[in-house]
Amino acid sequence: MLTALVLMPVVAALIVLAVPRRRHEIHLPLGVVLSLGPLALSGYLFWNFEPVAGMQFVVDVPWYEPWGLGWSLGIDGISMPMVVLTALLVPIALGASTSITKRTREFVVLTLLLEAGMLGAFVATDVFLFFVFFEAMLIPMYFIIGVWGSDRRIYAAFKFFLYTAFGSALMLAGIIALAVMHDTQTGAASFALADLANLELSTGAERLLFAAFAIAFAVKVPVFPLHTWLPDAHTEAPTAGSVLLAGVLLKLGTYGLMRFNLTLFPQATVDAVWILGALGVIGIVYGAAVAIVQPDLKRLVAYSSVSHLGFIVLGIFALTSASLQGAVIQNVNHGLTTGALFLLVGMIYDRRHTKAIAELGGLQKPAPMLAGFFLFMTFGSIGLPGLNGFVGEFLVVIGSFPTLPSLAVLAAIGVILAAVYLLWAYQRVFHGVPEGENVTMPDLSPREIGLLAPLVVLVLLIGLYPNVLLDRIGPSTEAVLDNVQEATGYEPPYPGRLVDVFMPGEG
Amino acid sequence: MPEVNWLAVLPEVALALGAAAVLLVEVQWKPRTIVLAGVAGWFVLMAVVFTVFQWIWAGDQAAAQDTGRLLAFSRMVAVDGMAIFGRLGLLVVLALSLAGAFELLQALGRRAAEAMAIALLATAGFSIMLSANNLVLVFLGLEVGSIALYVLAGMTRERKGADEAALKYFLLGSFASALFVYGVALLYAGTGQLEILGIREHLAANIVARPAVILIGLGLMLVGLGFKVSAAPFHTWAPDVYQGAPAGIVGYMAAVAKIAGFVTLARIFVSGLPEFQATWAPAMAVVSAISMLIGSVVALAQTDVRRMLAYSGIAHAGFAMTGIIAGETTGVLFYVVAYAIQLLGGFTVISAVSGPEGSGSDLSAYRGLWRRNPGLAAGFALLLFGMAGIPLTSGFVAKFGVFSEVWGTQPWLVVLGVLASVITLAFYLRITVIMYMEGEEGEAVPARPSTRWVVWVTVALTILWGVLPGSLLSVVADAFAL
Repeated sequence: MLTALVLMPVVAALIVLAVPRRRHEIHLPLGVVLSLGPLALSGYLFWNFEPVAGMQFVVDVPWYEPWGLGWSLGIDGISMPMVVLTALLVPIALGASTSITKRTREFVVLTLLLEAGMLGAFVATDVFLFFVFFEAMLIPMYFIIGVWGSDRRIYAAFKFFLYTAFGSALMLAGIIALAVMHDTQTGAASFALADLANLELSTGAERLLFAAFAIAFAVKVPVFPLHTWLPDAHTEAPTAGSVLLAGVLLKLGTYGLMRFNLTLFPQATVDAVWILGALGVIGIVYGAAVAIVQPDLKRLVAYSSVSHLGFIVLGIFALTSASLQGAVIQNVNHGLTTGALFLLVGMIYDRRHTKAIAELGGLQKPAPMLAGFFLFMTFGSIGLPGLNGFVGEFLVVIGSFPTLPSLAVLAAIGVILAAVYLLWAYQRVFHGVPEGENVTMPDLSPREIGLLAPLVVLVLLIGLYPNVLLDRIGPSTEAVLDNVQEATGYEPPYPGRLVDVFMPGEG
Repeated sequence: MPEVNWLAVLPEVALALGAAAVLLVEVQWKPRTIVLAGVAGWFVLMAVVFTVFQWIWAGDQAAAQDTGRLLAFSRMVAVDGMAIFGRLGLLVVLALSLAGAFELLQALGRRAAEAMAIALLATAGFSIMLSANNLVLVFLGLEVGSIALYVLAGMTRERKGADEAALKYFLLGSFASALFVYGVALLYAGTGQLEILGIREHLAANIVARPAVILIGLGLMLVGLGFKVSAAPFHTWAPDVYQGAPAGIVGYMAAVAKIAGFVTLARIFVSGLPEFQATWAPAMAVVSAISMLIGSVVALAQTDVRRMLAYSGIAHAGFAMTGIIAGETTGVLFYVVAYAIQLLGGFTVISAVSGPEGSGSDLSAYRGLWRRNPGLAAGFALLLFGMAGIPLTSGFVAKFGVFSEVWGTQPWLVVLGVLASVITLAFYLRITVIMYMEGEEGEAVPARPSTRWVVWVTVALTILWGVLPGSLLSVVADAFAL
């Protein structure tokens, strides 16, 4: 099942590639239709997902046995939401790419290959396999930014690729080290996450390896101070690239921290909570502060990503079940709201060919629908109660208070800053009296509404009934926490468990 | 009368006969180039068939006698898995080069027969070097191969660059060969043995009281072979030769020299001198580290694709050497064969872009190549990603193999290696930027069907070995050494 999920986009890419280049009008619709396949499959996975800990839908086929490589796939509560999010955002991103007129075939093919890479990375349970997907997906993204991006696209693509490759080079050394240690300790070659987690590591080795993995993922997240590639890449990328970059690729960083650092190096994790938690909070405040002064709407949303991802990092390293669940759900939320905001910015850009806030204004008058969607997603992003952002940020802050109280307080300030920069941007772009070309800007077309509608529904659903996700996430995050607890004797302080927060006295 | 087992040398015999046949056919009938290439190709095919026989035979031998090697001609020749695997690599490279450089051969006119004959002889020389058990025979094969390559580098005399390249290659190469043979002499002086197997047995059985002579000999051999594989600091010839010689020939030259050089390095150091590993491994680690750094950093500053690939080849020599430092052969064998194929494909693209004899390979010649010839651009990009070691290409598996072997003894080399890989990525990416993201217009670049085939075969192998590493690794794993 998962094998099909990963290979489906590859097959779809081949089908699109088989369509002659001159039939450029059917590439994009065909790509959208074909990318509904993985979406349907991920929907199936969602409904049939058992809310228990451990990997499900496991596939385990040897890849090259003497080296212990395995085609090992599986999903649990941490990866399942990401799989669904990925499969959902790809057709939306493709559908929003009508402004791409040159080399559409290549664009659709690369986007589908990117989807295969993203899905593969989320479902891989073998460290080697994860790395393969993690690194291989850089190539499609590199071309998407570099070929279809805006003016400084080449610089941005280059920076994106090199930053990420630098981080993952260290992780590769770490993976080699783990595999060699596994070989010497057990006599068998294996890259399976479950096997590697049982290694006996000296404190020094564990910390070095933790750092190697953490740097790789921190570049991807991006954690301050490794974030400088992100504003360039997001700003220069075409809309679909930005949506997938923000919606999915960044999440690979936080997902990797949760999946690999917490599982493989529990002791080093416990030792490093302050460092990473603090970097997360610096990211929250710094990203928000820089976002406030951005003159470019797309860059503003990009910096808001730095800020929002800081919450997730804080949630991961606060090491309570509430904060971990908050981190997972915030992963999804950020993909929905920021993905939608990038879509909306792209729609504005398609109409006005500018992203400069100063040149926009009063857009509410000519385009009330656009303004409405933008405001809705802004509220989702800020964390208005009843929308999804509130659930995630609330859980992260409440979950990190017992362990990292001072950081939690600072993070809460970040929530206010988010309101400042997003609402102020909304005010400047949509309020006031429109002038010049802004007067005649057309409103959303039915196609665009259709693209945004599923995101709106999910934002509301998660905001009003988060249990649809939390039930499925919970057992897995508890398992991660249990693992840390067993390996290190670390006790999450009261009320660290979710049950303590919401049902004190019953747990 | 010593035992004569012709099977041990049949592939070389076929290649040498092929060289003679091509020349004779040319003199007698003066046929078109395609016919000559057919004759050469037939003998290459024969050599492949004989090599496969050797493979099967060695397998049976391994099962029967538990040695897995065939010693023949008074122990001069040792046919083992490593030799056979390396030889198959050489032959595949030769066959692909004949097809890829077909345009160049046509342009050479009457000299095409000479070029083919010399290429066949070069392969024969390197091939016998791979299976030599005696250091004198190693030297003999090395010289046959090298001298043939010097001639090939200067094959297009009309071009100034080619002359310079050939002369530089010849002078520095002869110097390196001299150092190598002096190293052989010193090793003989120290151990009283010329046989690689004999040296190993001698060193295992005796305690060497004063190893200085042996160590100096080792050092000289490392320098000599380091030159052949263009490892820093013995690399200075590579950029000029890569730039000056005709592109169709550079790919072949570089690929066979890398395969033959590394297999011989592995044979002498890993098979012959395991007793001294504690001494030569650190020295080689330094050479490897310098190669990675110089190769990757200097390549960044290049504006000519060939010089860039020459410097990246220096970095690759450093990467591949890490496998030998670990005292293993699997990783390095996979590495050199995978890299040789990528290199050959890359230079086939270069020769298509710059014309058969031209050396105009400035980066600007690649602007907008995706529009001028989408197939070539895509193939080149994939080959470059393969060289950069992006997952799902053979380059990644190769790097992973050698790095995991060396982690146990020299972990710092792995860290250096992965960082150097990122630096190499920067200039490989630059070429893709130029091909795909700059320049919208330009003349179409024609590519012959044979060129296209070679590019797609090399790309297919690069991807196949990356996606299913077992397809080559399981073969390499059988390629047991002496």
